Amino acid sequence: MDTLLLARLQFAATASVHFLFVAVTLGLVTLLVGLQTAWVVTGNPRYERLTRFWGQLYVINYVLGIATGIVMEFQFGLNWSGLSRYVGNVFGAPLAIETLVAFFLESTFLGMWIFGWHRLRRGVHLALLYGVMLTAYASAFWIMVANSWLQNPVGYEVRDGVAHLTDFSALLSNPALWMALGHVVSAALLTGGLLMAAISAWHLSRRTPDHALFRTSLRLGLVTAALAISLVQGFGFAQFGPVGALQPTKFDGNPEADALIADWTARFGAGDYLPPVLANVGLGFMILIGFALGLLWLLVPLLWRDWIIRLRFPLWLIMLSLPLPFVALILGWIAREVGRQPWVAYGLLPVEQAVSPISPWLMATSLIGFTLLLGTLAVTNWVLLARHAARGAADPALGRPPAQPPADDDTRPEPAFA
Amino acid sequence: MEFAWYALLGLFFAGYLVLGGYDYGVGLLLARGTDPAYRRAALAAVGPFFLGNEVWLVAAVGILFGAFPMLEGELLAGSYPAVATALTGVILVTAGVQLRSRPDSGRARARWDRVIVVGSLLAALGWGVVLAGLLQGVPLGPDGHVAGVTHLFTPFAAATGLALVTLVAAHGATFLTLRMPAAEGDRLRPLARRLIASAIVAVTAATVVGLLSDRVRAAAQRPLVGVLLTVLLIGALLAARAALGRRRPGVAFTATAVALALPVLLVGATLWPYVLVSTIEPAASLTVTDAAASAATLRLLGWLAVPLLPALLGFQAMCWWIFRGRTDGRALVYW
Repeated sequence: MDTLLLARLQFAATASVHFLFVAVTLGLVTLLVGLQTAWVVTGNPRYERLTRFWGQLYVINYVLGIATGIVMEFQFGLNWSGLSRYVGNVFGAPLAIETLVAFFLESTFLGMWIFGWHRLRRGVHLALLYGVMLTAYASAFWIMVANSWLQNPVGYEVRDGVAHLTDFSALLSNPALWMALGHVVSAALLTGGLLMAAISAWHLSRRTPDHALFRTSLRLGLVTAALAISLVQGFGFAQFGPVGALQPTKFDGNPEADALIADWTARFGAGDYLPPVLANVGLGFMILIGFALGLLWLLVPLLWRDWIIRLRFPLWLIMLSLPLPFVALILGWIAREVGRQPWVAYGLLPVEQAVSPISPWLMATSLIGFTLLLGTLAVTNWVLLARHAARGAADPALGRPPAQPPADDDTRPEPAFA
Repeated sequence: MEFAWYALLGLFFAGYLVLGGYDYGVGLLLARGTDPAYRRAALAAVGPFFLGNEVWLVAAVGILFGAFPMLEGELLAGSYPAVATALTGVILVTAGVQLRSRPDSGRARARWDRVIVVGSLLAALGWGVVLAGLLQGVPLGPDGHVAGVTHLFTPFAAATGLALVTLVAAHGATFLTLRMPAAEGDRLRPLARRLIASAIVAVTAATVVGLLSDRVRAAAQRPLVGVLLTVLLIGALLAARAALGRRRPGVAFTATAVALALPVLLVGATLWPYVLVSTIEPAASLTVTDAAASAATLRLLGWLAVPLLPALLGFQAMCWWIFRGRTDGRALVYW
């Protein structure tokens, strides 16, 4: 067995599962902020019910985002100790910032948001959700800064074989960063929007008694998804230029790639410096899915006079298209990540130098154990999500008023620390 | 500069052991009794703090990666089985607590509660072994890599793992006496006192095994500090037990919190100026300065992260303040 292959498989498995959940987290929290803002501004109880229903699904989905995220964070040290040894000075900084200013605050805010219903003033409660959203976007930003550095190392110099940070602003103006960030964030909005539209469509197709409620979220979800798919396409195609220039070996053969491979062969020795074919096949499929989802725009005019609901078949189209963004997310990451093989940091650190020098048996045990664990949890989580989505908005546990307070309201004990 | 970051790393990891520690302690206590209402009430006591507790670990590992990249890879990969055990536990607890009340059936909830119990056990055990692994030195070769993982399997590591399990159990029980409704808290007091007593026994046992271990004696740079801090730890536990006897759960919880933070200080201070002491090649030992990132990186992190530190701690404090006091009929139940 090959430790390197096992470590790569484990990272691919964890990162893929992680991405399926965090994309929904990012997309859904944005819509949720809109719903709760509408509730606070208008005072319309329909928006409160919408916030509770979609908030509950958001919170269930969030669990696996954290779980897989923590495993990823540890995996850098467990399986890729060379990564921190050789490029940790540069690559570690954005990751450290992400955990401190984004992940840490996001969870703190979310805990207060879940338990703050009926306890905090509405404005404070809403502000917490804004905090959750902003830190979620900050998280996406810093992770993409780190990832873009691996795609295109900048702002460093190598001394004694170790990369040292010289110019942090170069990391922020990395040409591999901004278009990719826009692409990923709009893909998350697309996923969140389509999930909202599809679940609403399911309820509407079954003639739910909550017609008005799900009509609202269908419209919100569909319009968001339609706007997002155009952004996804725009940012996606805008990436071909810069990525092709930065990573000549990523796409099909060209003269620049041949020159680069000759240079690498001289510096790092002979080897296979072309990524596996898999990366580009996936890219093709992803682009097909992107075009297919562009047809969502055809459904938008049907929102007029609720034709989308009255005709019924558009609802089914929306439901059937739900898996597409998830498949595209995975394929997109495969194109980006497998496409830079055999490098961890493109042209700087080959994967075989970055992998931890541990026995293949240990790595295999870890791969099987964590993949089974996260796989089982992911499936369980989706089952729970589906059940709660199907149950409808009658009475979600999130934001349910606490049990009737005791008759004498002032019997609440003093804080024990006092 | 390196020292400040090392202290910050210690602060976040110790914070995690204190805060995550009572999560795991409460988790372990779910094993006792089959009364679903009690289990739900115990989880409601942890309720609003749960999500904010575990992220102290995430932040600690973030600092480890950003400020001590050399240490990060060797520590985690070099203690692979222990870290993987702890990580499995962390994942099981985080998923178990947040998902256990989402199914409606009592059977499914009971199954999730068993997941939480196992997860809490694994997390405490794993982190105990990681700390012991540091204290007993690692086979760090001249190439800078830790050779193999069998160095972890020693009586001292086992005793320390066990000691941390009893510590979190005692800490969790003390937390519940402080936070659950007064009647329930009173009922838990004898159990908490018993658990603190067993933690004292386990910590003493681990200390004796450690003092008898050649590797620990060789790795300790300041053995006296180590012994002193251990005495302090046991003193904190005794104080906690006495405070529970006098119905002062707030004082008792503070004391068990100190007892959970001390192991981190103990490891850091006993090994200082080293962070990884090599058992095979003295010259290969890694000092805190060598393990730290280069000055430019530390400066950057200092400018970007440190100004936000008050906000991080402030929002955590806000959470503790909003949800202070005992849980009662008006407390929201969600987990």
